[in-house]
Amino acid sequence: MAAHTTKICLSLGRINGPGFGQYASLNRATYATALSTSNFTGNKGGPDRGGRGAFVRRPRREPGEPRTEKMDSQQDWSAVYPSAASFRPGSVPLPVRMGYPVKGGVPSEKRGNLELIKIPNFLHLTPAAIKKHCEALKPFCTEWPAGLDSDADLDKHLPIRIETTDYVSAGPSVRNPAARVVTLRVRLSSLNLDEHAREKMLKLLGDRYCKDTDILTITTDSCPLKQQNNDYAMYLLTVLYHEAWKTEAWESEMTRADRREYIWEDSASQQNVLDTLARMATPVPGEGVGVGEGEAPPREELLARPEVQQYRDSVTRLKNEGESEGATLRYREAVKKLLSL
Amino acid sequence: MALQRVSFRIRQTVACARSIHTSGCRHLQEALAVEPERNPEPFSIFRTQESDPACQLENHVGQYYTLPPAHIQTVFPHGLPARFQLQMKTFNEGCVMVRPPALEVISYLKRADYSKPALRFLFYGVKGSGKTMSLCHTVHYCSTQGWLVVHIPDAHLWVKNCKELLPSSYNGSRFDQPLQATNWLRNFRVTNEQFLSKIQTRHRYVWTKREFTEEGRPLGELVDQGITRVKSSSDVVGAVIKELRLQSGQPEGCFRMAVAVDGLNALWGRSTIKKEDKSPVSIEELTLMHNLRKLVKNDWCGGAIITALSQTGSLYTPKTAYLPHVLLGEEGFDRMDPFVPVTVSNYSEKEFESCYLYYQDRQWLQHPQSRTEEGKKELVFMSNRNPSALERLCAFL
Repeated sequence: MAAHTTKICLSLGRINGPGFGQYASLNRATYATALSTSNFTGNKGGPDRGGRGAFVRRPRREPGEPRTEKMDSQQDWSAVYPSAASFRPGSVPLPVRMGYPVKGGVPSEKRGNLELIKIPNFLHLTPAAIKKHCEALKPFCTEWPAGLDSDADLDKHLPIRIETTDYVSAGPSVRNPAARVVTLRVRLSSLNLDEHAREKMLKLLGDRYCKDTDILTITTDSCPLKQQNNDYAMYLLTVLYHEAWKTEAWESEMTRADRREYIWEDSASQQNVLDTLARMATPVPGEGVGVGEGEAPPREELLARPEVQQYRDSVTRLKNEGESEGATLRYREAVKKLLSL
Repeated sequence: MALQRVSFRIRQTVACARSIHTSGCRHLQEALAVEPERNPEPFSIFRTQESDPACQLENHVGQYYTLPPAHIQTVFPHGLPARFQLQMKTFNEGCVMVRPPALEVISYLKRADYSKPALRFLFYGVKGSGKTMSLCHTVHYCSTQGWLVVHIPDAHLWVKNCKELLPSSYNGSRFDQPLQATNWLRNFRVTNEQFLSKIQTRHRYVWTKREFTEEGRPLGELVDQGITRVKSSSDVVGAVIKELRLQSGQPEGCFRMAVAVDGLNALWGRSTIKKEDKSPVSIEELTLMHNLRKLVKNDWCGGAIITALSQTGSLYTPKTAYLPHVLLGEEGFDRMDPFVPVTVSNYSEKEFESCYLYYQDRQWLQHPQSRTEEGKKELVFMSNRNPSALERLCAFL
């Protein structure tokens, strides 16, 4: 195309030899446009061509007023930032500055500030926006049951508490294996247990029971899904309850060593004390003469004495709570009173 | 030299507590003010002239009293701790400090009713706090009061390192320890010479086909039988114990019995003695221990049972254990119940002061720095006022 037009130009130039000057200007005008269109598309070396090759860039229009100037102070902000987006200096009508200042200077302004664009922002989560979210979610919610006002009410009507954790993260998969853990908490006092059942239950539970708060905690994570773990925890609770109420044949063989706590009644300690007191009350007259039954005070009377009660308390505490200086001193005081030292 | 290096290191850490010395001094100065009324010439603040434990009172606490040499020979042929015996040999005298635990037990013994079952006392405390010495002090009191003393110096010695173990002739399932039994009978004879001719046996004992002891023979004969015929010595010990238990506290019997057992936790612990087939011997299978267990039961009257725990010689117990229930175990505690536990703690400031002055008086502290205030504070810090620790520290000063 270019070659063709140049040929025409040359031929015309030769025909109109003598009247070159006049016609050349006319011809230049027509050719100029043709030249210019053809050259406009493909010319990269425009500046070399003198006046003829003046290339014009796309006219750059001036940037207009930033939107912030036109924003109304009562506008709907959730329309400006409806979802999470990066920081746009022209959309945020705040004189924010960010960046480490030059010596003697101030942090740079928001226009063209990469630091502000890099960081995450919560401009899409203003209180008004969140209110809108809540309103949108309300149709999907149910009401809090009436009458469940305090913790005591909750404990009474809904004694079992199940705790689960959901995990949200951005990544190739939304699944998190830690989300399968289920913790079930219930107070033992809300379960219907008699003496034997309670003892058996405590033996079965072991570490899962906290004595101070009376709460049984069952944590299940052996199944792969949360629903399965939930069912398993409920199953465990049911089984524990029913097993505690059952009495097996071999439970009758329980010895003192199997008991959870030390009980003073029928213990060696009680026997010792009764023997000692009986002997103290009736001094042995001599060999061969037995101790008359009528002289020794009866067992119940001995047991009912306050010093015997104090002794019993001190021994029980010593054995159940483990030994310490204080427990030993208490025991000592009780024995001194008992032996009337 | 060592002390200088040590002192340089801990000089910064030792707090300036002059009050330790001054308050202790004040106590002793008060005692000194009181002393002249009692003793015309007190030659030192930390000694007392009362060598009769029966007359020692609370204001003698912290002061040393001298054991009469004759008593040491008779009352303590085997009772005193080994280190104390060394100290006695070095200082040429046996001085025991009067301390609250022993005074307490002595006061109970003074007030007790001896027609009732025997009272049981147990000294317990951390290692090296003076349990054995308190026990010996109480034994000295009993001995001066004319009681018969059955002193077992360390029950742990009977459950370990037994060279000879014979099956018992009396009871096939038990084992005898002839050497230990003979040793003990010898010492028993030394302690209780005067009773051996007075007490008569109530039963007839047959030792072998040809040897027997009739009823009514003096106890001395029984003891001699045990010492000469080594094979039956453990059974003799059992017989002696049985006789004494029956006869103490009887109106016609003229003696009171004091049973002193050190290392009581050995009776209900474990033993390291092995039978020929390498299986361990349980405590119950040893004749001596079996009889000892019967002795510390309070089914006899007319005396007292004074015992002390000991973790030092005990087997299979942790080093930090010192409380009664921990060392005695469930079974031991149930058997000893009810007893009066008496705590023996480390030296108080006054007692420490007294001990320090005693060592100085005996020229035991040779190092020049040990006689200064700084040195004294270092001793307090290093030993934590523990009697045995202090003694060991001063040994190389």
